[in-house]
Amino acid sequence: MSTKSAASHYVEAAIWLIVVAFLFLQTFNFNQEIEIYRYGASSWPRAILLLMAVAAIGQLIFNRTRASRYEMGEIAKAMDESPEESEGTNANTGLKWYLHTALLLALPFVYINLPKLLAGTNDVGSPELNRYKLIVAAIVVVVFMLLAWRNRVGAVLTLPVLFAAMLQDLGFYALAPAFILGVMFLMGERRAGWMGSVMLGIYGILLLLFVVILYVGLPTGYVRPFYDFGTWVVTVLQ
Amino acid sequence: MEVLNNFLGGTVTLFSDPVGILIFFGGVVGGMLFGAIPGVSMLTLAAILLPFTAHLSPEHGIMLFSVIYCTGVYGGAITAILFNIPGAPENAPTAFDGYPMTQKGQAGKAVGAAVMCSAIGGSVSCVIMMIATAPIADWAISAFGPPEIFALVFFGLAVAASVGAKTFWKGWLSILIGLMIAVVGLDPVGGIERYDFDMPYLLAGIHFIPMILGFFAVSEVFVQAEKKVTGAYKAPKLSVDFPSFRELWAHKIAVVRSIIIGFFCGILPGIGATLAAFMGYNEAVRWSKDRMEFGKGKLEGVISSETANNSATGAAMIPLLALGLPGGALTAMMVGVFQMHDMEPGPLVFINSPDLVWVVFAAMFFANVSIIFIGFLETKTIINLLRIPFQFLAPMILLLATVGAYAVRGLPIDVLVMFIAGVGGFFLRRSGYSVAGIVLGLILGKIGEQTFAQAMQMLHFEFSGYLERPIALGLLIAGFMTLLASVYGAFFKTQPVANKPAEETANT
Repeated sequence: MSTKSAASHYVEAAIWLIVVAFLFLQTFNFNQEIEIYRYGASSWPRAILLLMAVAAIGQLIFNRTRASRYEMGEIAKAMDESPEESEGTNANTGLKWYLHTALLLALPFVYINLPKLLAGTNDVGSPELNRYKLIVAAIVVVVFMLLAWRNRVGAVLTLPVLFAAMLQDLGFYALAPAFILGVMFLMGERRAGWMGSVMLGIYGILLLLFVVILYVGLPTGYVRPFYDFGTWVVTVLQ
Repeated sequence: MEVLNNFLGGTVTLFSDPVGILIFFGGVVGGMLFGAIPGVSMLTLAAILLPFTAHLSPEHGIMLFSVIYCTGVYGGAITAILFNIPGAPENAPTAFDGYPMTQKGQAGKAVGAAVMCSAIGGSVSCVIMMIATAPIADWAISAFGPPEIFALVFFGLAVAASVGAKTFWKGWLSILIGLMIAVVGLDPVGGIERYDFDMPYLLAGIHFIPMILGFFAVSEVFVQAEKKVTGAYKAPKLSVDFPSFRELWAHKIAVVRSIIIGFFCGILPGIGATLAAFMGYNEAVRWSKDRMEFGKGKLEGVISSETANNSATGAAMIPLLALGLPGGALTAMMVGVFQMHDMEPGPLVFINSPDLVWVVFAAMFFANVSIIFIGFLETKTIINLLRIPFQFLAPMILLLATVGAYAVRGLPIDVLVMFIAGVGGFFLRRSGYSVAGIVLGLILGKIGEQTFAQAMQMLHFEFSGYLERPIALGLLIAGFMTLLASVYGAFFKTQPVANKPAEETANT
């Protein structure tokens, strides 16, 4: 059991206890009496949080006990880490990787919040807000591509979140082809012909199944020209 | 005799109506297909179809949903076995052994067992449902109040925590995460806003479908993608060698035990097939002579889980039709179908609409039987999905999950929540937590809190009131015993038995 591993147990327990403390403090916001129910609205979440704290401390004690047994040679080394924890993640577990991934994962939230702050409005019909959304979207995508180059696992995690963040504004119909190509590229596919054919195949199947057969109204977006493209696709298909 | 006459009457009504036949086969194939496509589930199909049932007769609408329920629960086993993506929470224990079997090149055997056992469990459960609906409903009404249901939820969570993660503590932390997610929104007694952070979306609570899709389908794609990117990805091996009759016969006791467990779990309102599958699996581990083999690709694990969850489908119709209480997500949607036709499920349905009840019972029976025939044919086709390179399959799964999350309420934020849950699930799985435990906590959390509140009001806020309710007391004691056994195992055994399936569970 290395010092690094021991430290990670303390960090894990500390994260749990910080989350528990934060959520416990939040219970005071709804700690109201209910006439017919003596325990009120906060007792159930507080009981869960108490159990969480106990389990987090139990987990820490368990890990430390296991560590001391390990040092005495009582437990086989194979027990120390599960295959899932170690397999294929050597390059993706360090603090640097986590920070880099956190930076990537922050990008979707930059896209969600920055245009509203710049435009000073939350009105989806505002042309100024939509203009900022387009500018921020372009910048975020460029930054994503630059960061993704050095952290492909982090990029795979971020791309769907970014897609979801932009879905309401730019629409499913315009974003889906780029998303399909992006996922394939990040997973190592480089054959342009295959990528194009698979993209068209998946896009076609989805549109046929959900738009033509089942009439599911997928988001068309608000921001032009993406909105125009989405409504054009729906008009053509339906 | 009366039951047989009613069943024959229902069968004749079902198969003498061309529209009914079309809807029946549409439901059978649709349930299997949506259950088996990675990233979507029978719930996605049901959510998409729900608005359209307004154009159908009540018989056709309810029959369609009940058929989708039977075949969809089976269909979810295919993705659990082939891709480690349970189609629904009730298929999660199927993945514990089914996916390792796929990795060992025994996918066909696992799927074949799932086909046979789903059909057997579902059909037997349907027969019992037809014979015993009235007496069991009477017993459940008198014997199972909120204290008993709360005690059962507690017992179920204690069992699930002991098999769900890398360690017992992580199993419980996973369950507790789910319980905390269920707290978000309005409290079930006073309607007080909790953890809404002034966001209207959170006021209504976090919907479980985006969470299920995120924790299961999306996080699985992320895990496989990481392996692909780092070069650790191994394509699953293909096989279509179905299990022999002798192999299945060797597990007859596991099948009977799982039918009984599944039926009794399914009959209890709000519990449904998920707990049935977990308990069926856990009991198989407990009674087995070679427990250490569970979680590594043992056929009995698949058999126990799939028999139990399909056995619960027939039983889940009893509280729905007899009491008006849904046992899970899909039966809750059936309540919606009833309401769209200005009907309320409950005892009056048996008096006012006996035709509806018996058409539904007959349809469910034949849907379970058809799993054997259509299931084998469909499986041979679906197993070929494994031939598709993962970089081509991944965007398809993610976009199907996107449509599934969006179709529930038409909210793009549900898609965002799903992908955030996927990222969370990816990191939690890396650390040995169980996403199946989180989802179970989420689903049972609301029921647990609601029944606890009702129980305490019933018992005048005296915990000693449980001493006068033997069933509730027995379940609470069983839950605590499970807990203590797990704590003992965690600290004093060098290699806890529960860890073996659990380590693999971390995959799910």
